Formats: sequence, structure tokens, C-alpha cells
Amino acid sequence: MRQSSLFPQVAGDSGGGWAAPGSGPDSAVPGSGSGWAAQSVGPAGWVVDQPIDLVGLLAGGHHPAAGAVVLFSGEVRESNRGKKVAFLEYEAHVPLAEKMVAEILAEARERWNLTVAIAQHRIGRVEIGETAVVVITASAHRNEAYIANRHIIDRIKHEAPIWKCEHYLDGTKEWGNNCNCQVAM
Amino acid sequence: MKIHVYAGLKDYFLPEFELTEEVLNIDQLKVCMLAINDQAGKLLAACRFAVEEGFIDNTYKFKAHETVIVVPPSSGG
Repeated sequence: MRQSSLFPQVAGDSGGGWAAPGSGPDSAVPGSGSGWAAQSVGPAGWVVDQPIDLVGLLAGGHHPAAGAVVLFSGEVRESNRGKKVAFLEYEAHVPLAEKMVAEILAEARERWNLTVAIAQHRIGRVEIGETAVVVITASAHRNEAYIANRHIIDRIKHEAPIWKCEHYLDGTKEWGNNCNCQVAM
Repeated sequence: MKIHVYAGLKDYFLPEFELTEEVLNIDQLKVCMLAINDQAGKLLAACRFAVEEGFIDNTYKFKAHETVIVVPPSSGG
């Protein structure tokens, strides 16, 4: 699993925020501590090649100044455009993707005064029902957490150098071109 | 100059290859890549380009022996 040196620069609270007793980047590892985890810090970087630990990340989403925590989990569904999906495979330019996700999170934290902004994206093979991407936002009130969460996932999908390849049960595969944001809006 | 391509571009090019001719900017790089495989035109037109420091635009002048990353449209999530 890839460790990111970006954590201290982009994940730390530069806005005079809190530091949970005994917490730090290491204590954001699920089950490793009893206090709050450090905000905006995922346990393994923004782009990971191992299953995403939703529960562990959510544990890092709590914050004493937050009255709302929103978690979005983008998951692999079993069909796409009428074809049965076998699995997805994600590829990324990891250094660029890490940098871009960090910038997206920092921008959202600033814009909506978030107390927590976390995102992780899988690369490699992701099976049906597994989480491919997670975004967690927390803020004083729910509106900002919802809006920021949607903003972050949309920017990650559209801008981060991460690509999806759909592998179908019929043996064919197809790269990308799958964003349905315009339909969904 | 080393070129790295990703995702759907790998259907048209090797993941990594080298260009021996002098390439000064993105437009010239596109011409060189289309000379290798002219079927990639539509996808190449939608790509972004980056070097080690990050994304670049058409005004960027490539340095000698620079590695260029050709970035197809994102499809994460």
C-alpha cells in the first residue's frame, strides 16, 4: 500500500483547528487509537491499491466542531449499459493523482469551511460491490458537508488522472467514457 | 524524450516509448504521435499533457530528455 508524503502538507489543519488527544497521522489507522483521528488524513494516501476501509475512514470523520458528516462511497455495480460487468480495473498516474486529490480537498476545506475532508480512490482490480472511491466531509451544518462532498467527487471523477476499465463477463473491456454526471444532475 | 501514455491510449501506443526527433511543444508532440498511429487522433485531441512538475499547456517548451505524460480524459469514480 502506498504511503503519501503529502499528508503533512495538505492534510494538516493549517486553519487553527483542533488536534485530538494522542492523535496524529498514525492514529488514523483503524483500530489503532482511542481518540479522534486526525482530520483529512487517510491511512494510506489518496490513491490506494488495497480495499478501502470505509469504517476506519469514517472513524476519522468525526470532529468536535462538526454537526454533520457525509460519506459517499462509489461502488462497483454489476452492469453497465446493459452489459454484465465482471470487475473494474482502475489505473492512475499516482503522483499526479495524489497531488490533484490533495488540492481538491484543500480547496473544498477552504471554500466550505470543512472540519474534515477525506478521499480515497482504489487502483487495480475492484470487484462487484466493492468501494472504488470514498469521500467524507464534515462541517458544522449538513448543507456544506453535502455540497462539498458532491463537489469533491465530481472534481475527482472529471479531473484526477484516474481511469476506469470495465471488464465484462463476455470477455470484452472498455475504457472510461462512463461519467453520467450530466444525466444525473 | 520519453512518452508515457495511459488507459485507452495504450490501445494505440506502447505504454512507454521514446521519441528521438526534437519536439518543442504539445502541438509537435501530437503530430509525432499521430505519425505513429493516426487512429489515435480523436482520443489524443481530448488529452491533457503533463511533465514531472504537473500539467502543462500549449505555451510550455519541452526540455531535452524530458518525460511527458499524456493524460486521457479522467474516468475515475
